[in-house]
Formats: sequence, C-alpha cells, structure tokens
Amino acid sequence: MSKNNNKERIIDNSEDLKDKITESMDAFKLRADLLVANLKEGGNDGYDHSTSSAGEKGLKSGKVSELTVIAPLKDGGAARLKEILKIAGGNLKGATRVGTLHDLRFVFLDNDTRVLFCTAYDGDWDPYIDDFATKIPELMDILFGNVEGWPGIKDPSVKQFILDHQITAAGWYVGVPHLTVQDIRRHERIVKGINKALDEAQTN
Amino acid sequence: MSNDDNKPLTGLTDKLQDLKDEFGNRIENSDFETWLKGVKEEVGDGIEMMARRARGVFNPNLVTMQLKDIQSIVLRERPTPYFGTVVALKINNADVGKQMLSQVLPDVTGSEDWHKDMQATLSIVMTYEGLQALGVPQSSLDSFPESFKAGMAARAEQLRDFDVNAPENWMAPFGDKGDIHVGAAIIADTKDKWQAKLDELRDNLADHIDVDNPANGDVEILIEQDFGSNDNVKNVFGYRDGISNPEIQGSGIQTPSNHDGDPIAAGEFVLGYEGEAGIVAPMPQPEVLGKNGSFMVLRAYHSHVATFNKYRKDNTDSEEEAELLGAKMWGRWRSGAPLVLSPDHDDKALGDDPSRNNDFGYKDDPYGKKCPFGAHIRRMNPRDSEDFILSDVRIHRIVRRSVGFGEVVPPDVIEDDGKDRGLFFIGINAHAMETVEFLQSQWINDGNFMSLGEEKDPMVGLHSGDKDSDADNFTVPADPIRKRYHGIETFNTLHGGEYFFIPSLSALKWISELS
Repeated sequence: MSKNNNKERIIDNSEDLKDKITESMDAFKLRADLLVANLKEGGNDGYDHSTSSAGEKGLKSGKVSELTVIAPLKDGGAARLKEILKIAGGNLKGATRVGTLHDLRFVFLDNDTRVLFCTAYDGDWDPYIDDFATKIPELMDILFGNVEGWPGIKDPSVKQFILDHQITAAGWYVGVPHLTVQDIRRHERIVKGINKALDEAQTN
Repeated sequence: MSNDDNKPLTGLTDKLQDLKDEFGNRIENSDFETWLKGVKEEVGDGIEMMARRARGVFNPNLVTMQLKDIQSIVLRERPTPYFGTVVALKINNADVGKQMLSQVLPDVTGSEDWHKDMQATLSIVMTYEGLQALGVPQSSLDSFPESFKAGMAARAEQLRDFDVNAPENWMAPFGDKGDIHVGAAIIADTKDKWQAKLDELRDNLADHIDVDNPANGDVEILIEQDFGSNDNVKNVFGYRDGISNPEIQGSGIQTPSNHDGDPIAAGEFVLGYEGEAGIVAPMPQPEVLGKNGSFMVLRAYHSHVATFNKYRKDNTDSEEEAELLGAKMWGRWRSGAPLVLSPDHDDKALGDDPSRNNDFGYKDDPYGKKCPFGAHIRRMNPRDSEDFILSDVRIHRIVRRSVGFGEVVPPDVIEDDGKDRGLFFIGINAHAMETVEFLQSQWINDGNFMSLGEEKDPMVGLHSGDKDSDADNFTVPADPIRKRYHGIETFNTLHGGEYFFIPSLSALKWISELS
C-alpha cells in the first residue's frame, strides 16, 4: 500500500470518527431525555416489557408478538373487504377460534389501493399456518383473497408471501406481556369461581 | 423358550398367517374388530400372543400408494420380538459410495406384502451432507426443505434444544460432532436372520473400510449399535409404549380403532401424494428423487428412570399414589391401559388388548380429571380434546418407529446405576422436520395450547427442577380441587439427533447411477 493511500485512509477514518461522535452525542442526549421523562412520568408494574425478535420478522414482548403487513389490493378489493368487515361488525368467529389473537385491524391506505393489517398474537404464527389451511381456509381466503397476489391459504408459498409483505414494527409495547389470551380467559374463570365460593361462604 | 412352548406358538403363527393372507380377498372394507372376532373364534386361548402381533390388517382393495417403491420402515411395523443393528456411515469417496449403494439395493425392502410376516429388512436413510457426499447435483440439493438442509443441530432454536439438550452437549457422532451421511438399519424377527443380513452388509462394506485408520477409508463407520428386545412393549421406564400410530389412507393398512376418524391423507406421510389440505406439497426434484420418499427425525434420549422414580416417591405419600402420579404423567398405566378407560387403577387385560387399549377419545374427560391435559399422550395426540388454540390434530401426527436400548428399571429403584438406557425416537412424516419442530415448540415445551400456561410435557419436556418455576409444574385436575406438582426434572435428556431423508427404492437406484 502506498503512502498516499494510507494518508487518505486516515483522513477518511477521522471523518468517520467525527460522524460517530456527533451521532453518539445526539443519541446520548435522546437517551438522557427519555431517562428523565421515565423518572418524572413513568411507572413500574414489575413485568418485563422489553422486546425481542419474533422470528424472521416482527417483534415480541413477553409472550405477545406483533404482525404488521402492508399489501396492495386487487381492483375493487377494498370495497369487498369493507363490506365483509361491515357485515361481521367485529364478530369474526374464526378469529375467536384461533385462540391466540389479542386483536387485529384493517386500515385502508392510499385511496383504497393498499391495506394495512395489524395484529397482536401469542407466540409464533408460522407453525400454525398449515392448521389455518385445513381448519379455517374459507375465512382466510375471504379476508385476504382481496390482496393482490394472494396465493391462497393452502398454497405452500403463503408463508413467504406474508413474510414478503411484513414490516417489523419499530416499537412495540404490550400492557400484559406475560399473559396469553388463554391465560386471560383461564384467569377470569378462576376469579369468577373464587368470587362465587366467597359469596356462598358469606351467605352461609 | 422350550420346545413345548414353541410348538403351539408356531401353529398359531401359521394360522394367523393364513387368516391374514385370506383376509384381503375375503372381506372388503371390514375393520379390525371384525377380523379379530374371527381370529378369536378360530384360535381361542392363545389370543394374547396373537393380538400382540396383530397391529392391524391389510386390505389390498384399499391400496392407492406405490407400496413397492416406499421403504418398509415408513409403512411397516417392526416385528415382535425384534433384533437389529443401526450403522452410521460417512462417505469419503462418492464413486465408492454409489457403488456400495447399488450393491445393497437388492436388500432394501419395500412396503408391499404388508400382511406377510416381516423377514429381515434393510433401510437406508441419508442426511443432507450424505446426499452431497454421494454427488447429488446442486439443483436437486436446493430443492430440499430449508430445515433439512440446516440439519437438526442448527435448528436448536426451533426445537427448543437448550441447556442440557443443546447440540454442544451432544455425543459424537451427532450434529457437529461427526458427519453422519448415511444410516443403515437392519431389523429382523429372529437372531439368525438378523445375523445373516448383518453379515451381508458387513461384506459389502469390508472392501471400502480402512481398519487401521478409519478416516482414510472410502467409507467410514461412525457408530454401530445393536438394539432389540424379546418384549418390545415396554420402554425403560417400564411402561408399554409405541401403541398408537396413524392409519394412512391408501396404504391398505387398517389399524385398531384409535379415534383418528377417517384415515389420514397419504401426503402427510409420503411425498408425492395429496395431503390433508388436498394439495400435493412440493418435494425434492427430480420427481424420481422425491416421489415415494419421506423424512425421518432421529432423536437419541438418555432416560433417567431412577430420577423419575425418586420424584414420584418424594412427591407422594404411598406407593399407590406414586403409581398414579406416574400414570398421570404418561396418560397410561404400566400395562398400557389408558387413564381415560381405567382412571383409578391399572388393568392389564385392557393394556394387552390392541382392540381396546387405543380405542378412546377425550370427549368424556373434558376437564382432564381422568387424563390430565398435560399428560404426555394427551399432549402428543389430543384426539378429540377441545382445542383451545385452533390446531388440526391430523396434520401433526407422526409415524413412530422408536427403538429402546438398555434395561427396564423397576418402579422402586431410586438410585441411578450409571448404566446407559434410553430411546431412539424415530418419527417419520412427509414434513417430519416441521412436525417435530411444531411438537417440540408448541406441544412439548409450552402449555398454552392446552391452556396450561407455561407448563411443559412432564416426560419429554426440558425442565430445570425449579420449584418456583411455572414451567416445571405439572397440574392434575381432580375433585374437589386440582393437585399441582412442582419442580419437575428432565427425565429424558437428548444426546443427539439428525434429520434424514428416506429415499424411495427408485430414488436409491437413481442416486447409485449418478455420474
């Protein structure tokens, strides 16, 4: 390596270093601001809310993961999907049966040409995709058949199709990260049972 | 066995053979009970031994699969008793490997003549590295599933193989501790047949092995292990095992009633056929390589029976209660009698009877008061249990061909004798990697699917014996209130495993002829 090249490299490095210092100064200030805000205004419920990766894409906090998808719609797809969602009025019985879904929503973007689909669910979604294909194929295809290029829930390429349109959230916060939908349902039954026993003890 | 004992048994076997041979042509669409009733009438008292052999009936009218081309290990039960050897090989010279393959090819057994008594069989399976070492072209290698290409050790995250079960703790030659390329297994129903077949294999191998410096040989033997049992019904914990296997549509094999409903689609177990979703899944290419093949997951477990016995003793007040706790963990009593059919005590006659010991569902046990939700057999095959999380039991079934090693430990032994014993879990399915990764992550090392929180499978889950950890709990629903056991330990530790491809007979030929 020539002397000249070496010199250039040193100059490059120093520019780089300057950038890094400036960057870390900015990051340091943001970190300090957040720390102050947390101290002044934050609370602590004793649960670990920190996030980690939910697989190839998506974030997970405790037992709860997020799936965020933006996908183009077929011509007239938005109108059909809106009609389906209007008829359902929130009563998506197949979603109830899945048993791991905390919530899901559809939002139409860019003059109804694209759809944003977000859901919070327990654990991993991909192990169960084959189960969706044999247990609720009609519901899946009614909802997502309006998406451009949707291969069909039974098509082996469907996992990859979802991954291709999935965007990992930049931030993810879950109020009760340690509880699954099943945990919440079970705990409710236990509390009801205990209250019933306490009420009976009181009347006797 | 004395001659006196031997004679009636041979007579019965012949009788059974005649009946089975006749059956296919005689009765169409009949079931196991009808057949068994017929056998009972004709042979009378020797029924128990007969019944033990009878794991199903064969009806040629129902065959739609190419049985001849499918290796026997996929569709055929091993004989009882059985004698066998498994050899793991590394191929250092592709040409010699292929030459050897063509030499042993005539000995590799297909699945036809299911109803005839099994002779000595040879099965050949290969890892991704093995296919590579034999010179399978890159375009074909690329067409295999990602999980198979990665291998079991690299899938530790998906399999939840952490801590004591982590690949870095495995024994050679598994995972990164060796290069298993080809597995060859011989199983026979007599010692003589087994030895004869093994000698044939050894002869075929002899020329290519460097005895003094194995790594320099064209072919290297990494391990050779014998297995077998005169009484294959018990695992080393002393419980009857391997009772339930799925009935496969188009195989012609009708199993005793197991509450699976209709037979499960062929494509779930063999490549190139329609699966439960009604489509033929992608398979390795070209078609001659993929079609009629399947995948095998091998997981080698060391069993800690004394630890299991001690746990039962330490956490109960009587021997009777300790036996009940063991049964609650497995879901069956030692005899194989299922808790659902005999909730309070063992029932040997029930356990021994193949027409009854698997004939149950969980509809009558909705709260798990007979068989806990967390019991091993209820987790591994929830049958008609209410599903808390949408799942299709039919697509997570696996053909089990597990073999045990080591001695059975009596229930009262609570000190480890230091001897090796355990189980080679062998699961076969057209997407076996996916299935076992699903079972390991969702049904074994988690409890959410049965609304059990973080509880894990008490028998095969990865535990830490932590009394304060929910994951080490085992909940037994009961009247008036449930009982909860804490601090479950790892009763079976993994010491290695591999993902294998089970080529069809024509695929083996295709590989052996690659230039």
